[in-house]
Amino acid sequence: MIPSDHFTRFYNEVFKFLESKGQEDLDLYWLEISKNQEKHILDLIRTKGLQGMYEYWSVIEEEENCELDLMVDDEHLELHMHGCPSLAKVMDNDAAPMTRYCDHCAGWIGPIMDKTGYHLVYDVISRTEPRCVMRIFKDVEKAKEAEKSVQLLMGWPGKKAAT
Amino acid sequence: MQKLPETPLRYQEEGNVHLDFHGAVNTTIDFIVERYGVEVLHEIFAKVGRDVYVDLRRHMLEGHPEEMVRHWRHFFARENADYDIAVSEDEIVLTVRRCTAYHHVAKISPSVSAHFCDQTTKVNEAIAEGTPYRIDTEITGPGACRQIIRRRA
Repeated sequence: MIPSDHFTRFYNEVFKFLESKGQEDLDLYWLEISKNQEKHILDLIRTKGLQGMYEYWSVIEEEENCELDLMVDDEHLELHMHGCPSLAKVMDNDAAPMTRYCDHCAGWIGPIMDKTGYHLVYDVISRTEPRCVMRIFKDVEKAKEAEKSVQLLMGWPGKKAAT
Repeated sequence: MQKLPETPLRYQEEGNVHLDFHGAVNTTIDFIVERYGVEVLHEIFAKVGRDVYVDLRRHMLEGHPEEMVRHWRHFFARENADYDIAVSEDEIVLTVRRCTAYHHVAKISPSVSAHFCDQTTKVNEAIAEGTPYRIDTEITGPGACRQIIRRRA
């Protein structure tokens, strides 16, 4: 058994292999992971909207030992990750980190937001710092406005990053 | 075996566990096997054994397989598995009666991949590769196995 604690280091090896095959292979994998994640989050979004997302990421905060602030209002959800355990473990690793490790988060979340009619703005800030800001909007114009102030905007399968 | 002073494991963990990661491993295994074949999956697991678990390999190379025992105890306890470990002069036997990973995947996924337990077999093989020890993995049932460390003949 690879311990669930070590999943991210396994994930990192998978990413490195897929990156060697090309971007299309990475995109297909993220879509597969996105599909896998639907069973954990899709019903919550469809029945409770932004509040359902808040519930999902509250569980993640606890189970994955994240240092983050989460807020939600009628218009959007905002997650400020101050200490991402996933990237932190990949960097505290005897194997080399995949340089675009952070891209997988938007890679699986983006397609779910597209599917449910929400608009994701994912600012990774820096791929070597375990922090990021994720905003999810109901209104596309508000999402476009938020994109203007990001430092490192992530894309996902079906949406290229604007910057 | 010479007893080592207790120091933290290289990848010591505290806090909660997120068992749904095992579901993502299951999905990943099927994705890799379907698109690239089982040999590629095994090579990825071998890289985990060789490149991620460098410290476990180092202990095995230096004649300290008991570090594997500490690793097993730490992570099987964290995941609340039903297991025991018997250490004798000739071999170390980990008996897993109920693997948390396997049973969690069985609960949350449509099916457990036929290659799910390859992660154990292949990572173990890679950790032991080139060391004075072998780690043999015997799957004894759904979510049950024996992992045996023996000095190579």
